[in-house]
Amino acid sequence: MASKAQQAPAYLRIVTVAFVVLWLLVAAFPFLWTLWGSFKVELDFFSKADWMNALTGPRTLAEKGSPFTTDGYYGAWVQEEFWRSAINTTLVCFFVVCTSLTIGTLGGYALSRSGYRYTFWLLITALIFRAMPPITLVSGYLLPFFEWNLWGHLATTIIVLVAINQPFTLWMLYSFFQKIPKELDESAKVDGCTQFKAFRHVIIPVMWPGVITTGLFSFLLAYNDFAVTAMLLSKENQTMVPKIASFLGTTQTEGNVMFAVAAVVSATVPLFILVMFFQRQIVSGLTQGAVKG
Amino acid sequence: MAEIQLRNISKRWGSFVGVNNFDLTIADKEFLVLLGPSGCGKTTTMRMIAGLEDTTEGDILIGGKRVNDLEPKDRDIAMVFQSYALYPNMNVYENIRFPLKVRGTDPSTHKERVLQAAERVELLDFLDRKPAELSGGQRQRVALARAIVRKPKVFLMDEPLSNLDAKLRVSTRAQIKNLSHDLAATTIYVTHDQIEAMTLADRVVVMKKGVVQQVGSPTEIYDTPANTFVASFIGNPAMNLVDGVIEGGVFKAQNSVIPGLDAPDGPVTLGFRAEDANVVESGGEINAPIYTMELLGDATMVSVRIGGALVAVKADKNYRAEIGDQVSLHVHTDHCHLFDATTGERMGP
Repeated sequence: MASKAQQAPAYLRIVTVAFVVLWLLVAAFPFLWTLWGSFKVELDFFSKADWMNALTGPRTLAEKGSPFTTDGYYGAWVQEEFWRSAINTTLVCFFVVCTSLTIGTLGGYALSRSGYRYTFWLLITALIFRAMPPITLVSGYLLPFFEWNLWGHLATTIIVLVAINQPFTLWMLYSFFQKIPKELDESAKVDGCTQFKAFRHVIIPVMWPGVITTGLFSFLLAYNDFAVTAMLLSKENQTMVPKIASFLGTTQTEGNVMFAVAAVVSATVPLFILVMFFQRQIVSGLTQGAVKG
Repeated sequence: MAEIQLRNISKRWGSFVGVNNFDLTIADKEFLVLLGPSGCGKTTTMRMIAGLEDTTEGDILIGGKRVNDLEPKDRDIAMVFQSYALYPNMNVYENIRFPLKVRGTDPSTHKERVLQAAERVELLDFLDRKPAELSGGQRQRVALARAIVRKPKVFLMDEPLSNLDAKLRVSTRAQIKNLSHDLAATTIYVTHDQIEAMTLADRVVVMKKGVVQQVGSPTEIYDTPANTFVASFIGNPAMNLVDGVIEGGVFKAQNSVIPGLDAPDGPVTLGFRAEDANVVESGGEINAPIYTMELLGDATMVSVRIGGALVAVKADKNYRAEIGDQVSLHVHTDHCHLFDATTGERMGP
């Protein structure tokens, strides 16, 4: 279809394709390296003698009789009970996403439809809290949580994560709602809806891409959080990320680092699946806002 | 019965006055057009009737019942928005059905009523489409169908034609007029287009800066404008308005001497329409060089400048002259309007 005038010269096309391929390799390399290495023993993956050992795995072959071993995964999931952390992460993420989306959609909608000046200051305040590093909040929480015996529980962490997440979800949903014309609410109201019915029947169906995108970001914040979960959870309630950190922290025992590597790979897989699954909604949510036309 | 009474309603935002002291009774089944330039408060007035905006002062009665404190849904109205405000996630059928659905009317009647409404606006072939897949005119018709499906007491239309192209506007205008006649509901229609107002309205309300300038039938507004604003807003071209003085019943301005006007001496604004004057060989009341010529097909518009004002006169369609040629214009004095030079209010009958 491209006319001659629009066609780039051959060398330019080769250069651009080569650049994209190179960029992809560089971007994906750390993950591919970790994925490959997670099936080796520590002495191969962290070999001081020759970095190629991480690829070929001579030690793994010598110790396990095959260039690949699932010892890391076995150690992490079974021996160190990483599955408990996986369940904890699931619980934390589920409740954080549900809570912050519920408050965020209701609040974002209200703020976007409110004519009052204070909405602006509310949003600015939210932005300031969002800009603060979470750790500044967490250090303040520690003492009262110890005093009141709240420390270490999943519920406490969920509430703190929601509090940290909320400004962001509120902002993001607010801007999505802003893009939905007010006439849609008004039309629904004239057609026979109350404000809440208009929200539920007309606005939310249009908002789905925005809600899913925001939900995903909220999920990622909770899933990837280290500062809060590491400080506020007791050992048995640890989520995946602090658990991985604790695997790394005990370098004196051989093999534990490989647990961490295997756990890292395990923790990444759900993210891939999630992004793949929702990619259409995310792209439409990020690019065009919620409605068009 | 759906008589609408607006009792001295006002809308203010802080010190800004959106609508000031609007007082009008709209008869049952009347087609009322609110006309004015943007920012004149016509849309605000309609939104107050719809309940989408609170009144600062005054009462609104629909069918004799005060509705100030009622939600829009409880006022038994339907509204067509300028942007159509179709629900983008629903197809045409669901869009039209929505008012029936949320109001919980008997579901077994839905299909029939939706089809009936869709047929009225020739949408039967598009019922499965989403609004994004429709043209502007089709979307506008969906909005109309959604409004008529429920047979409300009052229709409100907020510049429903302004997003359509010129040709479509004419045909949709005809359709709206026909619809409102058949449905026999009270209709309030907001527009800034005086042609729409003239063609559709039983009565026109001309507004400016939140204040009603004149209320009357299209003929009244056209023939006896209440002030220079209405005179300059209605008609195509608008009424010629020339500032001058009356001396002993003779109007005098640059290049113009128009005798036979019954008014006291002093400064006035004289108004006459393009069709109430014609080009003559010589001896006309206005003698000036031609400023511009416009061929309209059925007529030729000849314009001259008097003082700062542009005066347009309709000439025969075969009339030809060059810009700069001297021309003589005869003004029919019995069709002249006189306005107060300072207030712009109409003088005499």
